[in-house]
Amino acid sequence: MQTEFTISSFALRNLKRKPLRTAILIAAIAILVAALVFALSFVSRVSSSVRLASERLGADILVVPAGSRGAAEDVLLENKAKSFYMSRGVIEKLKTIKGIDQLTYQTYLTTMQGKCCDVPETVVVAFNQDTDFIVKPWLSEKFGRKLQKGEALVGNESAFNIRVGLIDVDKVLFGNVFKMVGVLDKTGTGLDNALFINDENLEDILIKGQTDLRPGQISIVFVRVKKGLDSYKVAGEIEDAFVELDTMARKDIGKSIIMTLRDINQIFIFTMILISLLSGFLTWAIFSAIANERAREIGIMRAVGARESHIVTVFLTEVIIVGSIGSIIGIIGGTVLSIVLAQSFSIMKSLPLHLTIMNRILIACIGFLIGNAICIAGALSPIQKIKKMEPLMAIKKE
Amino acid sequence: MTQIEVSGLTKIFSIDEQDITAVSNVSLSIEKGEFVSIVGHSGSGKTTLISIIGGIMKPTSGKVLFNGQDICNLDDDDLSAYRNENIGFMFQFASLLPMLTSTENVLLPGLFSRRKDMNAVKKAEEYLSLVGIGDKVSAYPSQLSGGQQRRVAIARALMYDPPVILADEPTGDLDEETEADIMELFRKLNREKMMTFVFITHNSELAGMASRQLRMTRGILSGV
Repeated sequence: MQTEFTISSFALRNLKRKPLRTAILIAAIAILVAALVFALSFVSRVSSSVRLASERLGADILVVPAGSRGAAEDVLLENKAKSFYMSRGVIEKLKTIKGIDQLTYQTYLTTMQGKCCDVPETVVVAFNQDTDFIVKPWLSEKFGRKLQKGEALVGNESAFNIRVGLIDVDKVLFGNVFKMVGVLDKTGTGLDNALFINDENLEDILIKGQTDLRPGQISIVFVRVKKGLDSYKVAGEIEDAFVELDTMARKDIGKSIIMTLRDINQIFIFTMILISLLSGFLTWAIFSAIANERAREIGIMRAVGARESHIVTVFLTEVIIVGSIGSIIGIIGGTVLSIVLAQSFSIMKSLPLHLTIMNRILIACIGFLIGNAICIAGALSPIQKIKKMEPLMAIKKE
Repeated sequence: MTQIEVSGLTKIFSIDEQDITAVSNVSLSIEKGEFVSIVGHSGSGKTTLISIIGGIMKPTSGKVLFNGQDICNLDDDDLSAYRNENIGFMFQFASLLPMLTSTENVLLPGLFSRRKDMNAVKKAEEYLSLVGIGDKVSAYPSQLSGGQQRRVAIARALMYDPPVILADEPTGDLDEETEADIMELFRKLNREKMMTFVFITHNSELAGMASRQLRMTRGILSGV
């Protein structure tokens, strides 16, 4: 007894008739979707990391020396070892601005393995414990005390990235020995790879003379504005009052990265359009050939009672099978690529945030829909043409 | 009772900017259960005439009434249902789908039908046995000879007991013995199930088996 056949099994058998052609079409869709998934993963990861990092810093405004916005973003978002300094005197000046509720400052020192320090290149953050509201939220309550001189905290990912994570380990920083006494929680910022010390240590560090920091210098001031005030307005007031300072409101942090990302996005979009057009054209060409080849069969099907909608269903089922298989392969390929190739992009290596499962599912869904949509769009014209043919004309078509 | 009423039917093909009249002002009535043969030279318009009656081609002008309804004005859904439920086609060329087995080819009209027959597979195998290829139920067309393929197509046309069979040289590829068996089967179905048969043939002996013989000459139909 034979099993009953359906339009789906009918479509599947049609595809099996020309396995190489089917494989080429599946490969084209897979390449399109893989490229799309890779691009979306890249853009999504960079933009979410930047957005989250700026939200997690806990400050409304960042104040840095004029011309140091990019360097500050590099440190805060990507943990690039950069130093920039201004006079500590700015703190008193900033206190004269009415809209400021709270402020704290940090000093960034960059390590160089073998010269000053026995850790790989990273940023050492000297922070003021009395005013701090940036580091404290990420320090476990278990720690429960202030950092003493000669003690340091390590960022959450330092163990992996700069191989300093074990507490009770002694490390030499700028000629002084520091004991690692605690690990910060994950902040989702570039500071996850940094080391943190009490700024009272700066005096000893300056004495050893193994850094370009000068007495009385700091790198950055974090500002919280009074409730209900517009941080942009306060930032503007600071810049108007002190030309030697630059500010970044919370929403502007990472702007330069976002701008770069916008350019990368455009390249991705252009590439995607090209690949989509090629895939659509290939689908059109293959389904035009299929429609011509099967004209007689379609005529016979119409003669025995197939409606136009049946013919469309058979073809669309084939298209969707090809589109779905291609899209699934593409999603897997694109995801693997985004993980493996990410290591080749310096911006990705330094980004702390990884895509969540939900992000990945969303990207996969977009890839799946676009893969199928391109396939359907390419096949639509040949399907429309063949379904409209008079059955006898289709049967007689050679 | 008149089952098929053709009146003033004309079909003109435009080929290379030239009009060729394949069927010229044909009028014809066929009663339910008639056994009609059409003879004529190649290109005389026989195939075009039965294609229009079967709803697989539109006429240039004229009407085809089936049980009083003009099939030329039906939309695609209704015309497809008309072909599916009322017409069994036998073409003069190989008309099987290559990726389907003999049984599946016989079942093909059922795939597009609103009515579902639970015993369809069994019935298809019985029809294949009736046309003498009961041992080929699982064979694909490429594994069958031309004559065997023709018999699968005959079984497919008969499968869902359509009231009208339109056959274009149905026994063309068959040997004499099989041809006689098939014609006997047609006559039996014609008698027992009151199926109407309209078949085209070049064989005058076969044409003589019909209760009414028609001749097409350059698109014009006449009685023999």
